[in-house]
Amino acid sequence: MVDYRDQNAPPGGPYQWGMVIDLDRCTGCEACVVACRAENNVRISGEEEASKGRANYWIRIERYWEGEYPNAQLKFMPVLCQHCGSAPCEPVCPVYAAYHTPDGLNAQVYNRCVGVRYCGNNCPYTVRYFNWFDPHWDEPLNEQLNPDVTVRSGGVMEKCTFCVQRIRGAQRTAQKEGRRVKDGEITPACVQSCPTEALVFGDRNDPNSRVSKLKESRRGFRLLEELGTEPAITYLKKAE
Amino acid sequence: MDLKRRDFLKVLGVTAAGSLLPGCAGETKKLIPYVIPDEEIIPGVADWYASVCRECDAGCGILVRVMEGRAKKVEGNPAHPVNRGKLCAKGQASLQGLYNPDRIQEPLQREGARGEGRFRPISWEDGISRWVSTLEKYPGGAVMISRPVPGTLSRLFSTFMKEISGRLLFYDPSGEGTLQAANRRSFGVDRFPEYDIANATYLLSFGTPFLSDWLSPVHYGLAYGEMRQGRPAVRGRFVQIEPRLSMTAASADRWVPLRPGTEGLLALGIGQVILKEGRVRLAQGDRSRFEKLYGTVSLDQIAAKTEVPREEIIRLAREFSEAAAPLAIGGGTASSQTNGTNTLMAVNALNLLVGNLGESGGIRFIEPLQGFPAAAATPVSDQALLNLKDSFKNKKRSLLMLYQSNPLYTLPPSTHFGEVFDQAAFTVSFSSFMDESTAMADLILPDHFFLEAWGDFLSDGGTPAAGLGQPVVIPRNNTRPVGDLFLSAAKRIGGNIEKQLPWTDFRTMLEDQWKTFLAREVPGQPFEIAWIERLQQGGWWKPEQRLISVSRRPLPESIESAQFEGDEKQFPFYLTLFESMGLQRGEGANRPWLQELPDPATTVVWGSWVEINPRTARQYGIQEREIVRVISPYGEVEAPVIFFPGNRPDLISMPLGQGHTAYGRYAKGRGVNPVILLAPLVDRDSGTLAMGATRVRIERTGRRGKPVLVDQTGEGTRRSPEGRRRSET
Ligand code: SF4
Ligand code: SF4
Ligand code: SF4
Repeated sequence: MVDYRDQNAPPGGPYQWGMVIDLDRCTGCEACVVACRAENNVRISGEEEASKGRANYWIRIERYWEGEYPNAQLKFMPVLCQHCGSAPCEPVCPVYAAYHTPDGLNAQVYNRCVGVRYCGNNCPYTVRYFNWFDPHWDEPLNEQLNPDVTVRSGGVMEKCTFCVQRIRGAQRTAQKEGRRVKDGEITPACVQSCPTEALVFGDRNDPNSRVSKLKESRRGFRLLEELGTEPAITYLKKAE
Repeated sequence: MDLKRRDFLKVLGVTAAGSLLPGCAGETKKLIPYVIPDEEIIPGVADWYASVCRECDAGCGILVRVMEGRAKKVEGNPAHPVNRGKLCAKGQASLQGLYNPDRIQEPLQREGARGEGRFRPISWEDGISRWVSTLEKYPGGAVMISRPVPGTLSRLFSTFMKEISGRLLFYDPSGEGTLQAANRRSFGVDRFPEYDIANATYLLSFGTPFLSDWLSPVHYGLAYGEMRQGRPAVRGRFVQIEPRLSMTAASADRWVPLRPGTEGLLALGIGQVILKEGRVRLAQGDRSRFEKLYGTVSLDQIAAKTEVPREEIIRLAREFSEAAAPLAIGGGTASSQTNGTNTLMAVNALNLLVGNLGESGGIRFIEPLQGFPAAAATPVSDQALLNLKDSFKNKKRSLLMLYQSNPLYTLPPSTHFGEVFDQAAFTVSFSSFMDESTAMADLILPDHFFLEAWGDFLSDGGTPAAGLGQPVVIPRNNTRPVGDLFLSAAKRIGGNIEKQLPWTDFRTMLEDQWKTFLAREVPGQPFEIAWIERLQQGGWWKPEQRLISVSRRPLPESIESAQFEGDEKQFPFYLTLFESMGLQRGEGANRPWLQELPDPATTVVWGSWVEINPRTARQYGIQEREIVRVISPYGEVEAPVIFFPGNRPDLISMPLGQGHTAYGRYAKGRGVNPVILLAPLVDRDSGTLAMGATRVRIERTGRRGKPVLVDQTGEGTRRSPEGRRRSET
């Protein structure tokens, strides 16, 4: 049996995927939100379900109001699964549906998920979304569904995968060509669409990748990092 | 937690399942696909087709991912100069236009009374004959209202309408008519320049929603990112001046609220200080005319009228004139008043004062594409549309044709534009969706969706480009390209019009235009090869841009004040209506992805709301989510209240885009269309609807509404973006 871990391990050690989000660029335009839905077959919840807090957004734009008129300020922050290095959502899953891949992804095996939602409760970023019902697309909206991504059924937990289908696609190409994935070769859907280039994706194991360089910025911080979750996403503060 | 598959097996002790698991080399073929977790699915093979996005009028280049004949995903075309690989929410959602369950699937003929909404399918042959016979019955009686379609379709429409002595009006509801008029006066140029935001070091924006819906949002989004963090040592600063803290204002370093309609006056004050303090870049002898303009009002008066403190005006003036590359832009709330053009001219004057015309980081006019045969589609003013009422009333015109225009929804009822529909002897719509105006038609000859059709799109402004679109999927329904319809009508009418439009179908006409064009641009290359290359590239654009210089530089003669409708005592509030990211002016309302796209400031989805400053709301005793009635001299709407700390206390704001009475299952009967509140006031110089010129009052209903907020942070647990927990303010 081949060690599972070796599968994606290129020469020089496995990848460690990560992201940098520059809040000085992000404008809250939400192109990323729709791009993610389109890529990942994220269900349409509808008004009724959304009003019960059951709308699914693998990536969402959080807004923060500060101050009062005329000094009111509004700040935006894209929030998606942080692919925590020490993920609180993983050990609580009784059936190991939530687990960590060797290349640093927090993965969810849908057909193993039994829907107890412990992971969702334990995620401090509230980025896990539960499918309360089977998804539904009024025909022919379903024709758009991406065949590379599973349609999740009711009772299953889901969340951002860093667009793993795109990662695996690029890795296979690189593997066939006997090389490592090049920096910038993989763009998750949100990253690809973002008009202001606020989102950057890459390999944290490669010291020369844009992600590795950007995350050393003095503006860098990680979300709720005091919890010890070791997020794979570094945010860059809005500059003054 | 690093869980290897082997460990997993050990944990569960299910050794027999081993061969079923992926990761065991050579065994994967035997797997039931559904048992493979997503992270191990091998992505299928896709084809990519280049085209042009038609979800707004920016003309971004797109690449569409197609698998097994179905369009799966739209991405920006990295080669296209307008959007360089990027795309906005609306572009992403264009697939829900293509696969919309409520598309009109075949030609329809009205049954029952007009507007009753009963239609019966007819054959294409019958449909076209009915249309053509009406054209022949009312010679010179046809009016066509079309969305702007710069490119071959524009040439086809204009030739056709000219030959039948009809009238063609390009109508753009979110039209930048004021900006067009102001630039025409300030610079003598009828096109939009490139506002070089990317290279500016100080951006002073008067109400311009350039990060959401102004001119070319993706283009300017890219530029904004570069302005902030794209240069090694420089971070451009940005101040937004407007009465409501919009989504664009949220990104600014400083938001300066002011009284609606006084933006021009504020620009005057800023210019005055700059002139006095001497930090100007003016040609010799040019100073006196600026002195004349800026000497008209005192700074204290300006501070009092704009309600921007004197110190703030001086600060803005200093920051602006001391910057290495200052840039002033105006639009949105600043231009949607009765003095809109005048205001934007005053903003232009600031640029003239610091001499940034043609400079890096300033206003640059780029040489347009030459030689594309008669393809412009300049929008007319709202006033021109309203003037149609007379020509229909006195029977000068009798036949109304509509192409992707929905004036019955976008124009306020106070304009009585509906009279045109009432007076028209016959109305034909070529739209793909049953919008409010199409629902009033007598005959519907539905077009393909743009992803099913051939087309081109000329973008202008900062990035002259001819985008080229091809069918990326086989048409789903019994629809026909609108171009084909017009060419076949020309054939049936015969005579001169047939001579002018000899093509058998739109694709041939399109290819012919490009043949002429490419023969000039890439001489020597055989057309067949050039054409394929262009289709793969998604169009044609020059590798580099050439600037053109601008000679006319007049200043506004004086600063006009804005006129408002509604007595201040009876209607104490100003009203701002804004376009939301997804729904625009209602066009996006039939796409569920856009309905479920949270408003970035309030997180509301699937509905309408009223934004009120929390202090004002408390004065009225209004609770958040309570339904209020917003009343203007022209109408009233009801919607739930969301507290909005970014509103002036005397300002009510509401999103545009909902309140459809037609337009399919996702749009119809949802929320309210606040346009019905508006007075029929237009900007004096350009005839553009003055969306901000109506005053309103509010009344409590005592009922609790159910706006749907998808705020994950929740009240009381809001964190600051830096990750620290903080109690709510
Ligand atoms: S962000 Fe939440 S879901 Fe994602 S890895 Fe961390 S704990 Fe798990
Ligand atoms: S990485 Fe992919 S799955 Fe994650 S938020 Fe971005 S688009 Fe969605
Ligand atoms: S697309 Fe980019 S700029 Fe827009 S909200 Fe997402 S991260 Fe921010």
